[in-house]
Amino acid sequence: MRRLTWFNATSLTLGFAFLYIPMIVVIIYSFNESRLVTVWGGFSTKWYGELLQNEAFLDAAWVTFKVGFFSSIIATILGTMGAYVLVRGGRFYGRTLFSGMIYAPLVMPEVITGLSLLLLFISIGLDRGLFTIILAHATFSMCYVSVVVSSRLVSFDRSVEEAALDLGCTPFEAFRLVTLPIIAPAVISGWLLALTLSLDDLVIASFVAGPSATTLPIKVFSSIRLGVSPEINALSTILIGLVTIGTIMASLSTKRAVMRRERAERMAEQAG
Amino acid sequence: MPETVFEPWNDPAANPLIQFRNVTKRFGDFTAVDNLSIDIFEKEFFALLGPSGCGKTTMMRMLAGFETPTSGTIMLDGQDISPIPPNKRSVNMMFQSYALFPHLTVYDNIAFGLKRDKLPPDQIDARVKEMLRLVQIEKFGQRKPEQISGGQRQRVALARALAKAPKLLLLDEPLSALDKKLRQDTQFELMDIQEKTGTTFVVVTHDQEEAMTVASRVAVMDHGKLKQVDTPDRIYEAPNSTYVADFIGDVNIIEGHGKAQGDTMAISWAEGQPPIIGTPSKPMDDGNVSFAIRPEKVAISAERPADRNNVVQGKVLDIAYLGNLSTYHVQLPSGIVIKAQTANSRRRASRPFTWEDEVWLSWTDTAGIVLER
Ligand SMILES: Nc1ncnc2c1ncn2[C@@H]1O[C@H](COP(=O)(O)OP(=O)(O)O)[C@@H](O)[C@H]1O
Ligand SMILES: [Mg+2]
Repeated sequence: MRRLTWFNATSLTLGFAFLYIPMIVVIIYSFNESRLVTVWGGFSTKWYGELLQNEAFLDAAWVTFKVGFFSSIIATILGTMGAYVLVRGGRFYGRTLFSGMIYAPLVMPEVITGLSLLLLFISIGLDRGLFTIILAHATFSMCYVSVVVSSRLVSFDRSVEEAALDLGCTPFEAFRLVTLPIIAPAVISGWLLALTLSLDDLVIASFVAGPSATTLPIKVFSSIRLGVSPEINALSTILIGLVTIGTIMASLSTKRAVMRRERAERMAEQAG
Repeated sequence: MPETVFEPWNDPAANPLIQFRNVTKRFGDFTAVDNLSIDIFEKEFFALLGPSGCGKTTMMRMLAGFETPTSGTIMLDGQDISPIPPNKRSVNMMFQSYALFPHLTVYDNIAFGLKRDKLPPDQIDARVKEMLRLVQIEKFGQRKPEQISGGQRQRVALARALAKAPKLLLLDEPLSALDKKLRQDTQFELMDIQEKTGTTFVVVTHDQEEAMTVASRVAVMDHGKLKQVDTPDRIYEAPNSTYVADFIGDVNIIEGHGKAQGDTMAISWAEGQPPIIGTPSKPMDDGNVSFAIRPEKVAISAERPADRNNVVQGKVLDIAYLGNLSTYHVQLPSGIVIKAQTANSRRRASRPFTWEDEVWLSWTDTAGIVLER
């Protein structure tokens, strides 16, 4: 192990301070007895209790969860199908155009995506609510899934799929039994990405959400405008906790995968 | 039982298993396979030999069903196979990259094709175990492909392709990833397995030694065209073109003007030199020809041999010592360099000739072959 130089240590400290001090402040204040943000009134968990009593927040959280769940699944299925056709479909007419178009929503400003979806829903007479948010989220996160999955498809040997056909699979069986298990990690990453994007989204959701359904980010944002409440701090702390657990689990599983691969390489060497 | 020679290609009554009839394959305006016709017979070990990019893999892929011919037909067992998708053909392929399923164990890789046929589980199990035994990887059945070595992966690929007992097994450069020693051992194993299973093998290779070792017949290809299809010894001893002669093994080529003289041909090749006598590869008219002779058929001596028509004098330019053999590069007065090979039967025998020595080269009238130019 190399020791950190003075310069490196400073950069590290400053960088991480910049990233994490705001969150630490939120966490500390979520345990503040006092309602006032600027005054420390002693340690308390009462805001967590109040949060759990707050119907509006709980409803919004439930909506967010449902939207994330359904939209990410739709996005994963459509995105994977799109990636498969664009990468494996051969050279059909207009393929380059389609490949380019799948990236366009990634760079489109969110307000524009939100606005166009809103106009679409109004023009086809769809009532805004849970369903429209799910559709909107599936639409924009599907592109991300498709990008993640196609990069995996490009990198894996086409002949593995041909081998499946050669051994008697129909094209659909070859996809289900061979392609899908091989690209599964990319599909799962794409799904997690779609889920995160959906849970995160404020702009698009605020265009397409209606009075019947509000997501958590919208709820938080609108209540902040009436003043910071300690309940929001508590909520944020819970979210930070969840994200932390998720990240740790993800990095542990990556580490396990690396160890598994190293073990496989050792076995291959010994097998001679 | 009298030993019958396996030569269905000489039997007019034999029905070929595979027939390529004027098959052409184009990619855009590039012609990968050019109006090619071959018959391949049951139980043959047929080798496609040619330099990289000459269309060997494309031929395999047309047989397996991954490419369709631009024109012409391919018949399997007398049936046109172009409308049959890959999964319905009784043809299996061992891929150049092995293409093992990384998420399945060795056992499940081999069982994969059998499961598609919906065989009963105990039958599948028995067949997989038989295959594991055949290619000698019983110990590794429960491992993933990433947990075994390259040579073992190649065996798994072979076992997987053989498991369904196809009528025809296609092997695309099956041994190219192995080092020389292992490759030679595996060649003999392949021949053994081919004999045991009685499957027809079509093997692609760019290694001429490999083709000569394993094959019952060899097809030499160049730029999508067939140059010659014949048994390994005929390809070596009686090539029909300088391309084939040059591609297979080492050869000396002398160009000149040929004149028929009974069964042989006299070739004037240099001013003031007696003509070379050679045997034509087929009946041919007088005209410009190439004379091809293998280095091991050229004798080298210090004295002029008295009993031969073909005698030339030259100077030793270079000597390549190959352990069991020595190759002398001899320059003739006209500037041509001829290679002569001798076997080193005695250990550390002092070399009879050295650089700059004046030597005589000679060969019999039937040692060299006359080819059209
Ligand atoms: N799908 C394809 N599209 C365009 N060109 C191809 C394709 N497949 C093969 N070719 C070309 O056809 C030629 C023959 O290829 P191949 O059959 O793979 O040769 P090899 O004898 O080395 O196996 C090569 O020049 C290759 O570039
Ligand atoms: Mg090839």
